[in-house]
Amino acid sequence: MRKLFNLTLGVVTSIGGFVEVGSISTSAQAGAEFGFSLLWAVAAATLFLAALAEMAGRLAAVSKRSMAAAVRERFGIHFQIIPLSAELVIDTLLLTAELGGVAIAIKMLTGIGFQWWILPVGLVAWLVLWLGNFSVIEDGIGLLGMVTLSFVVAAWRLHPAAGQVAGGFVPTVPHHDITRYAFMTVSIIGATVSPYLLNFYSSGAIEEKWTEQDLWINRVTAWLGMGFGSTVAMGCLVTAAIVLGPQHVKVETYEQAAQMFVPVYGRWAVTLFALSLGIGCFGAAVEIALNAGYVLGQSLGWTWGIDKKRRDTSRFVAAFSLVLLLAVAIASIGFDPLRVTLISVALTVVIMPLVVLPFLVLMNDEQYVGRHTSGPIGNGLLATITILGALMAMVVIPLEILGG
Amino acid sequence: MDIVRDVLDTRVVDRNGREMGRVDGIVVDCQPNQPCRLAAIVIGPAALGDRLHPALGQFVRRLEKRFGLDQNRPAQIEFADVDEIETKIRLRLTISDTAVDAVEKRLRAWVGRLPGAR
Repeated sequence: MRKLFNLTLGVVTSIGGFVEVGSISTSAQAGAEFGFSLLWAVAAATLFLAALAEMAGRLAAVSKRSMAAAVRERFGIHFQIIPLSAELVIDTLLLTAELGGVAIAIKMLTGIGFQWWILPVGLVAWLVLWLGNFSVIEDGIGLLGMVTLSFVVAAWRLHPAAGQVAGGFVPTVPHHDITRYAFMTVSIIGATVSPYLLNFYSSGAIEEKWTEQDLWINRVTAWLGMGFGSTVAMGCLVTAAIVLGPQHVKVETYEQAAQMFVPVYGRWAVTLFALSLGIGCFGAAVEIALNAGYVLGQSLGWTWGIDKKRRDTSRFVAAFSLVLLLAVAIASIGFDPLRVTLISVALTVVIMPLVVLPFLVLMNDEQYVGRHTSGPIGNGLLATITILGALMAMVVIPLEILGG
Repeated sequence: MDIVRDVLDTRVVDRNGREMGRVDGIVVDCQPNQPCRLAAIVIGPAALGDRLHPALGQFVRRLEKRFGLDQNRPAQIEFADVDEIETKIRLRLTISDTAVDAVEKRLRAWVGRLPGAR
């Protein structure tokens, strides 16, 4: 029975992908500016993330290695240093943005300036990591994360025209702002398919002691879990399209985005939006900090794991604590979480081919995945993601300048 | 055996199964008219730094010296002390026979003092 609860690993991972500071803002902006027409980008991001997570879980369950460990062993440090350094930089930037996201959410609830909340939020995140174990973190965030379903409920109660929503799943070239449209497409995919999610998921599979017998659980967890986050992101996009679109609101602040809840939730709108934003960002923050410990520990061969005694994993503890401290410091200097997100999205897209390409090799290497190598569909999908990733990497910087 | 593929970057555990790190460097003994042989494996961030760029290795060495953590580091383990090479490398030694966990020990002293440490 406990195995079925492993679904929460998928839900938690998907919160980090779809329901965090960057994804909520891009979904809201996409809906407000382009109606339903970018739903296909969320669907594509879901397909990519779920497929990659399933592979990361399969790799962990069969080889007992996380992604970072497998990449170091199979490709050596000369290759790994590039994605590893990029992942640590992206982790720190994203963590900074997520802490900012939680602080903004608390500001919306209390009216007290968001700068005051960065340090307390960082401290609470650290305490969760210091005192919690993997199940507590996973189940806690998974359960609290259910509040983000308020985006789906809002979209449902606004009765969107089914035909128009379905039309959004077909990529089309818009009549206006093509550059902005392309920029939003890259942003949605870049904000969702973060490299840390894949290592977090595979590390979670090891923390949960998955074996070859759990491969079906992995498949269900990856697809249903990412389906959860994807549904929430689509709910956000649809709600923003119906409520903010006709008002021609260009979402530049989270206070503006919160207005999308007003027609459905009335005076509870801001509270529900802030809770969804805050919990999503807090979950993502805990995941990112934890992943920084994972990725360093696994790459360098330390004893790691949130279920192990802290005294036995002191380098791992020091790693997640230092990254958290660094993010709190950057966030406290004063910054715009949206701008930090923009930089990390660009970096994510640039590095994506180097994150995905090793998968193509590892998932076809019997020394790692035994008889569970990828079939033509999995390999085709990986090749597509790699090529698309490389194309996006080439256009992301000009797009950020022109469309952002 | 392909030394680069099967040895470099592989996980190393001691004879009790405790994590010792990864193979960050190797020492190869090459004699004239004889095939080269693996003489030792090296574990430690300074050796890893050397592989990436000598300046990085030098920087790590200085840092370790500054904190008094440079004794017998990076740890050089004779090939004779290697028990088996599979998906991980198992040694005949225990971790306390080497200095690979010097940083872990130093940090443990701090982490152990924090309230709620377990």
